[in-house]
Amino acid sequence: MALDYKELGFKCGLEIHQRLDTKTKLFCRCSTDSKDQNPIMEIERYQRAVAGETGLIDRSTSFESSRKREFRYKVFRNTTCLVDIDEEPPHSPNKEAIGTALRISAYVDADVPDEIQPMRKEVLDGSDPSAFQRSMMVAYGGKLQVGNRLINIPSVFLEEESSGIEDTKGEKATYRTDRLGIPLIEVDTDPSIANPAEAKEVAKQIGLLLRLSGRAQRGIGSIRQDVNVSIKRGTRVEIKGLQELDRMDSIIEKEVERQRNLVEIMDELNKRKASVGKPQDITKIFKDTKAAIIDNSIKSNGVVLGAKLNKFKGIVCREINEGKRLGTEISEYTKKGGVKGIIHSDENLEKYGLTEKEAEEIRAALKASEDDAFILIAAEQGAAEKSMGYALLRAGLAISGVPPETRNAEPNSDTTRFMRPLPGGSRMYPETDILPISIDPGSYAKMKKEKLSIQEISRKLEEEIGNKQLSDQMLWSHNFQTYNYIKENISVKPNVIAGILLEKLTELRRKGIPADEISAEVLLEIFKRYEKEKITRLGIEEVLKLLPKSPADIDRLIKTKGLSRFTKAEVEEIVRKNKGKDANDTRNRVMSKHRINVDGEELNSAIKKAFGV
Amino acid sequence: MYSEKILALFKKDGIEIGDKVSITDSRGETEGILMPRPDVGESDIIVIKRDDGYNVGIKYTAKAKIKKKAARKQEEPKSSHAAIKSNAKLPKISLLYTGGTIGSKLDYVSGGVRTLTKPEELLAEVPELSGVSEIEVKNVMNVFSEDITYVEWQKIAEETAAALNKGSRGVIITLGTDTMHYTAAALSFMLQGLNAPVIMTGAQRSSDRGSSDAFINLLCSAYAASRSDIAEVAICMHADSSDRECMLIRGTKARKLHTSRRDAFKPVNNSPIAHVSRGGEIKYSSDYKKTEDQKSKVTVKGLFEPKVSLLKVHPNSSPDVLEYLSGKGYRGVILEGTGLGHTPMNTKHKDYNWSSSIKKAVDDGMIIGMASQCIYGRVNSKVYSTARELAKLGVIYCEDMLPETAYVKLGFLLGNYKHDEATAMLAKNIAGEITERTEADWTVSD
Repeated sequence: MALDYKELGFKCGLEIHQRLDTKTKLFCRCSTDSKDQNPIMEIERYQRAVAGETGLIDRSTSFESSRKREFRYKVFRNTTCLVDIDEEPPHSPNKEAIGTALRISAYVDADVPDEIQPMRKEVLDGSDPSAFQRSMMVAYGGKLQVGNRLINIPSVFLEEESSGIEDTKGEKATYRTDRLGIPLIEVDTDPSIANPAEAKEVAKQIGLLLRLSGRAQRGIGSIRQDVNVSIKRGTRVEIKGLQELDRMDSIIEKEVERQRNLVEIMDELNKRKASVGKPQDITKIFKDTKAAIIDNSIKSNGVVLGAKLNKFKGIVCREINEGKRLGTEISEYTKKGGVKGIIHSDENLEKYGLTEKEAEEIRAALKASEDDAFILIAAEQGAAEKSMGYALLRAGLAISGVPPETRNAEPNSDTTRFMRPLPGGSRMYPETDILPISIDPGSYAKMKKEKLSIQEISRKLEEEIGNKQLSDQMLWSHNFQTYNYIKENISVKPNVIAGILLEKLTELRRKGIPADEISAEVLLEIFKRYEKEKITRLGIEEVLKLLPKSPADIDRLIKTKGLSRFTKAEVEEIVRKNKGKDANDTRNRVMSKHRINVDGEELNSAIKKAFGV
Repeated sequence: MYSEKILALFKKDGIEIGDKVSITDSRGETEGILMPRPDVGESDIIVIKRDDGYNVGIKYTAKAKIKKKAARKQEEPKSSHAAIKSNAKLPKISLLYTGGTIGSKLDYVSGGVRTLTKPEELLAEVPELSGVSEIEVKNVMNVFSEDITYVEWQKIAEETAAALNKGSRGVIITLGTDTMHYTAAALSFMLQGLNAPVIMTGAQRSSDRGSSDAFINLLCSAYAASRSDIAEVAICMHADSSDRECMLIRGTKARKLHTSRRDAFKPVNNSPIAHVSRGGEIKYSSDYKKTEDQKSKVTVKGLFEPKVSLLKVHPNSSPDVLEYLSGKGYRGVILEGTGLGHTPMNTKHKDYNWSSSIKKAVDDGMIIGMASQCIYGRVNSKVYSTARELAKLGVIYCEDMLPETAYVKLGFLLGNYKHDEATAMLAKNIAGEITERTEADWTVSD
């Protein structure tokens, strides 16, 4: 059903994050290339919330801190240094990254401050060993023409990439620090995006601008789109971790559906004058229980906590998104306290092995009537208390509607799950270990003046490639940077480069060959061998299939796999040996045996020569 | 700081730091809270904190217009930390606060870090402490460790003795880390009849950071001060880069060996006394002086001879420095010699030969001690003729004593003992500064 987004009070803004492939990280000189390494050590850290610049502890940071989590960091030889693990002050900012950020800012016509002020953005989910992420506002007040709409770009940031999470178990999380500190550009839009389809289009355009910088990192996770969505009577919810643009519109649609359902639940709960009770230890009810989950928990010295949700009957199981209920959302909060989930009265309690008698005893103990719902948590006391606190927090928030949250896009689905409360502005304070960065207004003005519009770039590309379909495809491809890089370094025809990068790489990917992982430098080397007539165009494809890792690797493969291009004399010799009844027959004979080694044009001239036509 | 021009402008328009303002220039309007200007860079850049929390610097030009939008919000920031609960059933210890990074908070005025005005704030950051001991906090001083002198050592020693004599089970001293090992050595010598743990701790990351090492350092120090039976001065800092445990290092055997890591302090030529886990487990790993069941008071032998110096010998080093010190009335010098304890004696350029200057200084009554710049290992005056000659000239070889400890010890000896006594005591162990055996595992990393 098509929704009237205007009527819904739909508001949507994007935050596009792009990792840069600068030579080194933003505030240290570690390599940004984080492939194939084993950690040299692991360290263990604990973090706590401290007051920000305005003196208040931000609501999201204190939420994480109250969870008292233990973080482990994997440290690598070439990609982690003391700066990354909070053992050394930051080095000077990476000029290449600042230049790239300014170039991107110029593309969206943004203004730059006279002085960029490096900030610390407090993060306590452990993704940064220093408990903050260094971040700078590079530009503001930009705009982007998308179709006939002008979308405002209020800010462009340059910040440090966080650590990659590898594993999380209860209150313990393990991160890799190789990715940490790589420069990350964030381009934000204002919340004026009109509908989910437009959101996708805007994201696509921003992605292109980022690639125009020539410094966008390729590969999975190198670009991430965060979406902020709200509707009338709903709340701003931030959805993180969208890696594929394809799903953006459906994820937004699902969030709209979620907020509409939560608003309905809010209205119903308010009509009923619903409220949330207090946790109670009801372990003794389950002395002889047959419910395995509860029994196991008690046997390992756990407790059973119960709490009443006044007038919530039938609401906990109310569907919010397909397969997701209010109970699911309560359970997601609960998990942050370290337990697996909750049992609630809106579900079939028999499936846990709870008897009717037990259910009655629970209701009696919690003084719950038929109109009320209840939730149970069975776990070790500390975890149970903490988790029940979170469960009741979420249940209570249902009475006031949509909670402001950061949510995570779920893999292979369009739904999302709770990550943490939405952070506010108080988690920012100045990075005093780095001096403010002065910007030369003159050179930035020049950058702005000389930049090309997307239309101009598109026209230039079409001229170059000589094929509108191919050039359009190239403009929007993640290989656009690689195309430019190869084109600038050799004199192979642009359409050959474009054809290989677009069609052949896609073809190989579909066959399950990860040819996208071949670095731009190695790709260039392959094309160089084509340029020097060492391989044919078909030979390029054959080399790609074998996933070479270095120039030496390419040469070895050409030699050992018989991929060398035949010389003119060799082709003439082969034509002589395979001479058939006519030119076509000869061509077919030669091609059936030597298609990879024979250049088409060279074969044609040899045939012409042989048949004297 | 903002320039006079900008400040005058603010004054004229009644604008104060913290007000909501807007600056309009060729870029349009930038709105936010007016922040103090860090004490760096151009002073006509106005720092605005935007609603999204980011600061940006806008240059004030004649064409720019600055306008006050709203007055500073007067509400006091609520502290979400509960005040530290005191629990009389737990062992009572004292915490003497002297300054340093551990008590540093971000200073939005200077852009650097400032020291806490109330050391109690520090304890509030570590609520776990309330389950370990009852802590009485005393603000003794507020000094950067590079500015600490023997006068401060005396003061800290006296405060420590006073706290112990008033019944504290142990004492934690928080201080700047740069010279912590000097202070630790000084207290090791000055505190007489010590019968309780005296634990020094600090931080390499200021405590306004969520990742500060201060929290674990304080926690482990509290365990050491309230539960260990160590009757020595010890440094308690991270054992490694993890926030897992701290190492207790004898005050006379500790050295800061890294500029920035949280495990910067290592014992030299000595095993750590113990490791203390963040959960409170104390694992002893070497012999130490244990507390005894006695009620005698701790006294302070606090005099110190400031006319003592520490000289590093290096290629091309001239003995002029020694002659200068001698001429200035210096009574003692510790040479940080090369290798086993050498100075240049037979260079082709005789200006660099130290023997005559040393002889003259010793004859004039200066006590010269020899330690090694190798940091690890023991000096020896018997192996090379150079050292044999130096010893003959009267240079005292200080065994495996750290140069910094030897320096502190010589100042202490000259302050409290006669020349001959001091000479005799320099190379004899009095507070764990000299060991007879050099242990086989020469560096102890964890």
